[in-house]
Amino acid sequence: MTEDRRQPDPAFAGALARGMTQRRLSRRNLIRYGGATVGTLSFASILAACGGEPAGAPEPGEGPTVDFNAEPGTEINFANWPLYIDQAKDPDTGERINPSLQAFTDETGITVNYNDEIQANASFFGELLPQLQAGQDTGRDIIVITNGREFTALVANGWLTELDPSLRPNFDANAAAWAKDPDFDPGNRFSMAWQSGLTGVGWNTEKVSAPIAKMDDLMNPDIVGTNSVGMITGDMADLVMVNLGITPADSGPDEWREAADWLEMLKASGTLRKFYDQGYVDDFTAGNLAASMAWSGDILYYKIWEDQPFDFGVPEGGALLWIDNMLIPANSANPQGAYQLMDWVYKPEIAQMITEWVLYMSPVGAVQDLIAQHAADEQGELASDLQETADSEFLWPDDALLARTPFARNLTTDEEREEWDSIFIPVSET
Amino acid sequence: MAQDKAEDLALLTATVAGQPAGEPPKRADQFLAKRQRRVAYGILAPGGVYLLIAFIVPLIIVVYTSLQTGGLLSGGYTFTWAFDNYADAFSSSKIFIIRAVVYAGLATLIGILLAYPMAYWIAFYAGKWKSTLFFLILVPFFVSFVIRTVQWNFILADDGVLFGPLKTIGLLPDDFRVLASPVAVVAGLTYNFLPFTALPLYVALERIDKRLVEAAKDLYASRFEAFRKVVLPLSYPGLFAALVLSFVPATGDYVNSGVLGSNRTTMVGQVIQTKFLTEADYPEAAALSVILMLGMLVIALAYAKALGTEDAALAAGAA
Repeated sequence: MTEDRRQPDPAFAGALARGMTQRRLSRRNLIRYGGATVGTLSFASILAACGGEPAGAPEPGEGPTVDFNAEPGTEINFANWPLYIDQAKDPDTGERINPSLQAFTDETGITVNYNDEIQANASFFGELLPQLQAGQDTGRDIIVITNGREFTALVANGWLTELDPSLRPNFDANAAAWAKDPDFDPGNRFSMAWQSGLTGVGWNTEKVSAPIAKMDDLMNPDIVGTNSVGMITGDMADLVMVNLGITPADSGPDEWREAADWLEMLKASGTLRKFYDQGYVDDFTAGNLAASMAWSGDILYYKIWEDQPFDFGVPEGGALLWIDNMLIPANSANPQGAYQLMDWVYKPEIAQMITEWVLYMSPVGAVQDLIAQHAADEQGELASDLQETADSEFLWPDDALLARTPFARNLTTDEEREEWDSIFIPVSET
Repeated sequence: MAQDKAEDLALLTATVAGQPAGEPPKRADQFLAKRQRRVAYGILAPGGVYLLIAFIVPLIIVVYTSLQTGGLLSGGYTFTWAFDNYADAFSSSKIFIIRAVVYAGLATLIGILLAYPMAYWIAFYAGKWKSTLFFLILVPFFVSFVIRTVQWNFILADDGVLFGPLKTIGLLPDDFRVLASPVAVVAGLTYNFLPFTALPLYVALERIDKRLVEAAKDLYASRFEAFRKVVLPLSYPGLFAALVLSFVPATGDYVNSGVLGSNRTTMVGQVIQTKFLTEADYPEAAALSVILMLGMLVIALAYAKALGTEDAALAAGAA
């Protein structure tokens, strides 16, 4: 039965399904500008900002402790990004289900309320802030947050549940090396990777005169033309630093200014079109951009599954690795159940189900062979697309690539954040 | 004879300008007045409570937040009467405020130039098609604001449905573009706030007694004079409402510049958004919001004074 569900319904796995398999990041911009979302959030955040006593913030802050050996509850509320999990039609009822989660429920009897409500780290963080500051249950047992500012704030304020490292056998056995012990969360005290990806450079092969080999190519009008390069505001400082030979983790204000100078040179070169918060993909697919900083999964999706003339690469100096992390907010109603599920998705056959749908980097290395096997069992275009997925160096980075793809700089104090912002925000606002 | 007519016309326009004078309130007996007042309070209460909760309370919170200091990673923000936030927010954002005022002003002006003739024609000449035609103006606005703006992005794409063919036949140079420029932002603002311009103008124009125009013509006013001395003054309240309703939200808008503009078109709304979401600098974001709000209020009151009608004063109060 489980085996049946794992095979997506043929009608669903066909063209329709592919049309729906849009990467979660490429959708961010649309929703970010949703007035309602942002409006509610600001109100909530303002309320938060002046209500409740903020927790003291040692690093990491003290949160409530949880006995993970206790009996789990019967329900898990799982907040994730849109289109970031496997989907299929239930053969009996015709309803859409998430086979990986269904299998979990079948085995444990715990219901999973999966809600793809996260459209951006910042706005989702803002939504949770009032409850977190008041020390209340946020109504979510698992949330998925990228390493970065919001993640740091959650840790620093004690707003996460510390995990018990002795209770995650699948993670211990199957997690890829890069997913273990990341610098932003030593020993995975609070987080386990959901999916991951690279921030590098994408280009439209019909609009550049040569593939983008290094970041400096982005300011060469002979290669990319004019007004045709996109930069992603949140990641650009780190990507530029990496390509200036600076390790973000070791960087300070001097290095930051060096990166800002490079960005100013880019602006002066006339090739830059725009700084994007998230929406570069729309301009990319509309043909307005010749090249752009890009998230691997976005471009690879269009390249592999939509046969667009796009390509993705890691520039000479390197790229950035980011991880979307599963976290249990403090005061969750069912941390035991949540933790079981977080470990459950580290079973290779479950991780495969998820990755074949979402096409990002799986934190379970064994999935690569499983997808290759699946490709061998299938025929036609599906087989070749699966094979291409299994072969992509950017989905299964080897050690050589990983050595060139560090994490972004983790800004751990308000002073650092302020200094960083004072250097980089003027770059993208003027 | 002609002299008399001219005097009559002057009298008529004076009456028009003095409108709406209305009749003095009728004296009713005490009991009835009291009762009416109670009824009035009863009717006002739901809206009043709603405004209190949804507008006044958040406003107080915004002002309160704007006077805090602290940091997200060092124990949160606390209230310290930090008026410096205002100075900091203003000095670092002047250029974005000015740009927002200029863009919104242009968008409002263009919007009125577009909407006034439309509303005028529908109100005066469309006859039984009035409602239908006016509804047609509003139809596009049943679609979500965000979707509409993103669709502009699609239509105005460098080689998109509009410019692609024009470039192919050589009417436009290859590097021509509108997106990521101030033109696109002002155009987007104009379009998105057009119903807020058209609606009040239409209502005001539709309300005008057409016989006044006839009277003006009888008194030897040319068509243009009749328009300038009768129709235009009578449409001031609508004009004022249109100004306020489109200029104020357009100034604070952050979607159009975000989607259609570039780093060279950053408006103050985007700066507030970045301060709030990215920098998590809630106090300065709140301070900047308050500055913007006060600025808008001043502008609205100035309009009210300049146009000087009772309706305008009312509208300013509402704004």
